Amino acid sequence: MNRLAQLPLRIIQFPLRIFRPAGDVNLIRIKRRRAIMAAIGRRASLLTVSLFLIGYLWLLAIPSSQLGRGTYIDENALQPGQVNTYWNWDDVRNADRYLERLEQLRDSNATSEQRVSFLLDEFRKMGLPAASQKYKFTTLSKKNAQGKNVYAMFSSPRASGVEAMVVSASWISRVDEGSGQLNLRGVAMVLALAKFLKQYSLWAKDLIFVLSDGHLDGMHAWLNAYHGSTQTNLITEPLMLSSGVIWTALCIDYPGHSFSHLGMFHEGLNGRLPNQDLLNSFQRIAQYRAGVPVIIYDHLDPRDYPELRNDILPQWIPGFLRDDHDLITYAYQARNVYRHFRYQASGRGSGVHGLFHQFRIDAFTIFALPAAGPHGFHALGGIVESTLRTTNNLLERLHASFFFYIMTGPERFLKIGSYLPSGIAISVAMMFAGLKAWVEAAKTHRTRPVLAVILKYMLPTHALGGIVYLAITSGLVDSVPKMVALCLIIFVSPLILVSAPKPAERIAPLAAVLKALSLCFTSTVISIIAVLNFSLSATLAAILGLPLSLSSPSTSLPLRFVKYALYFGFGVGWLFNMENLQQLLWDWQALNIWLLPFLCLVYTPVVLQASIVCLL
Amino acid sequence: MYLISTLVLLLCSSTIALENLVLEEEYTEYLSIRSLRDGKVASSFSFKTLLRDASPRDPRQLSFDDNQDASQHYTLFPLTLGQILRQYAITELHLTLNAGKWNYDSWGVPDEPGVGPGAELWAWMADGGTMSVDHRWQGLRNALAGLFCASLGSLDEQRTTSPQYAFPPEGTIPDLGLPHQIRHASHASEHVCTENLTPFLKLLPCKSSSGLASLLNPHRLFDADWHGMGIHVLWNPDGIEVHLNFQLVSDPLRPSTVQKQDWSLESLFDRTIQKSCPVAVTSQISVSLPSSGMYRITPEPHTLQGDNAHYELGSSLAEPFNVGIEWAGELEYPSALRDSSLMPISIHRTLQGPTQDKGRLLVTLRNNGPNELKVLYLETMPWLLQFYLHTTTMHIDGIPRNDLISNVSYILPVPHYQPATFESVLTIPGNATVRYSVDVTKAFLRYTEHPPDAQRGWDLPPAVFVPSTDSLRRMYAPALLVDLATPDFSMPYNVIIFTCSVVAFIFGSTFNLLTRKFVVVHLPEGN
Repeated sequence: MNRLAQLPLRIIQFPLRIFRPAGDVNLIRIKRRRAIMAAIGRRASLLTVSLFLIGYLWLLAIPSSQLGRGTYIDENALQPGQVNTYWNWDDVRNADRYLERLEQLRDSNATSEQRVSFLLDEFRKMGLPAASQKYKFTTLSKKNAQGKNVYAMFSSPRASGVEAMVVSASWISRVDEGSGQLNLRGVAMVLALAKFLKQYSLWAKDLIFVLSDGHLDGMHAWLNAYHGSTQTNLITEPLMLSSGVIWTALCIDYPGHSFSHLGMFHEGLNGRLPNQDLLNSFQRIAQYRAGVPVIIYDHLDPRDYPELRNDILPQWIPGFLRDDHDLITYAYQARNVYRHFRYQASGRGSGVHGLFHQFRIDAFTIFALPAAGPHGFHALGGIVESTLRTTNNLLERLHASFFFYIMTGPERFLKIGSYLPSGIAISVAMMFAGLKAWVEAAKTHRTRPVLAVILKYMLPTHALGGIVYLAITSGLVDSVPKMVALCLIIFVSPLILVSAPKPAERIAPLAAVLKALSLCFTSTVISIIAVLNFSLSATLAAILGLPLSLSSPSTSLPLRFVKYALYFGFGVGWLFNMENLQQLLWDWQALNIWLLPFLCLVYTPVVLQASIVCLL
Repeated sequence: MYLISTLVLLLCSSTIALENLVLEEEYTEYLSIRSLRDGKVASSFSFKTLLRDASPRDPRQLSFDDNQDASQHYTLFPLTLGQILRQYAITELHLTLNAGKWNYDSWGVPDEPGVGPGAELWAWMADGGTMSVDHRWQGLRNALAGLFCASLGSLDEQRTTSPQYAFPPEGTIPDLGLPHQIRHASHASEHVCTENLTPFLKLLPCKSSSGLASLLNPHRLFDADWHGMGIHVLWNPDGIEVHLNFQLVSDPLRPSTVQKQDWSLESLFDRTIQKSCPVAVTSQISVSLPSSGMYRITPEPHTLQGDNAHYELGSSLAEPFNVGIEWAGELEYPSALRDSSLMPISIHRTLQGPTQDKGRLLVTLRNNGPNELKVLYLETMPWLLQFYLHTTTMHIDGIPRNDLISNVSYILPVPHYQPATFESVLTIPGNATVRYSVDVTKAFLRYTEHPPDAQRGWDLPPAVFVPSTDSLRRMYAPALLVDLATPDFSMPYNVIIFTCSVVAFIFGSTFNLLTRKFVVVHLPEGN
């Protein structure tokens, strides 16, 4: 009876016995663990190489159609394009009249005061409370800006005015990244919209019309004043009018005479993105309700415009492939992804809308692609009205996790799961390479001088990065000769560090330990910023992955120096592009874009560490 | 024959006897219409029923049977409201349900001061007897919620305060030998709509079938830029007065293509008055005449009193009554709306700071007159937002002026239970702009405390300002919306999986280390 009762238990235990051979359990466990570690250790190189391969190939595969999927609307409340729009030719005439007056102001070289008083007057004629706001930046950069914004508030009827939407146009268009072309039609459009939209009682949120001065600077000053954030180098007037919490914002950019397509620009400061539902709603409304084709950025699709194929495809591609549909699709999407990476990795964003995201406002720019036709104010007004009606439907902020995506086309995107592994794979490969270096360092001597390496090499390199940062932000280094002097100091310092007497006791080689720690550190940084700013993280992974893993000391002294110099140039080369440096400085001091401190405090030191590895 | 005449006599005498029992009641109705500077038209309906010689119930009688109470035989006075008042022994009651933001600067003083957004309820009650004030307050708001189909039940302890000075009784407090207490609560996100208007109309003796109330057309009322209804009950030595009012601000310019401010009863309400209400003692319409511009008012006013034209609706109307003003020219908006406010002070109130844990409450007060003004400032803040009182600052043009704030009284909030009450007196020098700011911390909620639309944020009640001028009662600053740290409720499974994994990893490894027995194992050489 007793035996019978134990039978089921024995049956269960039987298969486990195979994995539990007889003997001392603890001894077996230790042996097993060692065997596993040894197996991984033997294959570490293979693992690293394959992870690198997977990572780099995946990065190349991001533009491919196989990874992406079609866009869709996730938030049910949006209901894009489900309303009749009322924008009509009368309103177009209003817009034309405003444009006429603005063109007169431009042609008569009107001062900004005259312009502001004209805009204020027009808002007041509509019966909307309007006010202006003066601002001035006092950064070190030569690109200092000052100006005056104009804004008007339409308190929506029947609502308590705790929520708001922004419709804005900057005085300077985003053409050539805000190089100076005026956005007159955008401003006229906002004026006409203000006059038109106030006729309806259906708005659930207040409408704020902002006509910002400059390109990015005006809106930055306005948003800072609206949200009460203080910035020491920005002097602004407080806002006279106030409304509620802003949920969404549309920035209208219409630089040309007419337009053929509407482009979407969406990247924000420091890698932030707006909720994708907003872009998808706009795309649906423009494309399917109004019949205006939507593109991403100002990139026309070469599948629709065969004459563009030669611009997109490189010369070396043989003729028989040049008409291949898949190849053209890949090239087109690769161009979009590259543009996205440039905007996001630089942290600068792609326009005025990018300033909104830091305040949890979903915003993007509607860019009217200059062309001879066929669309104008009539189409754009209806689309903006319908888009505002859609965002007006929102009962809550846009919140579904639609903030991580890469748009490969106006109707195609990659979800986070489809692109994130590329950068992470490279980062993991670097981690393995670092751990391998760590294990191998112990092969000669078991004692690994961690503290000595951190104190003697790693911290000083970061301190050097800090010196570079201070030199740039304090304005000491503002020309190429001064920069050369600074870099000479940085070039010599590691030589001094390395020439210090090596410890007498028998320890593991410093180069291997430094390489291990440096690789692990870089890998961690890349993984962390992958969710903050994927483009920056992937770019770093792509740039640093192989060079850092391949750095090693050489036996011959000249070769060592050549390697050191190469790595050094790789680490500090970016400092010599003075124009770019000025831009980075302004971005950091005026807009708080953290690319400059990041480059100084992380990128350059990490590459310097690799160069020291070659020298040791 | 004799029998019949006796019966008739008996019936008559019983009617007379009943009339002797019934209190004398008086019903008056009044509509005032004025054109506003920005082209809008403000109308204010006011329906008053006076119950002569009645007095509020003594709360000590609440323990007795209801039959002991005065009989409630009303003809004009709304019975359903009367029952609530007597059951909870309410001395004075004010309920307002509003939608929109009252634009003080360009609309001026409202006819009824209660124009705060959303629902606001406050009542004065005598404290005594077996039922506590808070118990009766709870019963009152539940009863009113049922009567007016509004979510007044949510005006619970988390929103109820007892401000000392901002809401004095508007009537007289009867001398019952008992202290009186105030309870006040407001709920900014409660909206007013047709389902609230229907029970409101039922309280009127003529409903909406005749008299001024026949103009209350829900399609037009709820399309107005600002609209709100109020129920006020107060006592004075004449008796108990029920005052029902409906205010609205319509925009005649909104639908019209030409910019003309013309209005008439028909254009504002899509109705004219067909019959007058027979039980109304007076039924008056008053139109305040514009001070500038060429206009024509039709029909000719019955009486003129200063800048007001008065019309008296008699007991019977010969033809449907309509009144309106037509302008000769188009409306010119004032060149600077902001610089010439119609109020002695202009108020802006914002909540700044983009983060979800800290922020700053900023109130900007501008004294539009040359003389110094004292303003009573009241915040009844739910515990979701807590003040750091030591960071309170007052600035004029960037110069700190903390001497301008005095008489501070502060009742601390109790998290998850009770709101804070902050009352103080602010002094504003003539023609100066004062910026009052205080740092706030935002509460971290339990996940069950989030509403279904969690990502919308929380509505905070308006602040109340009472300037020390004779002409002006309280003013409401705009309501606010606060973003609290909110989990992404749209993907609970991811959150559960992530948190459970982290907990499992930490617990598993800690537990393993704590329960493991460490032994020395000798490895045979060569392995």
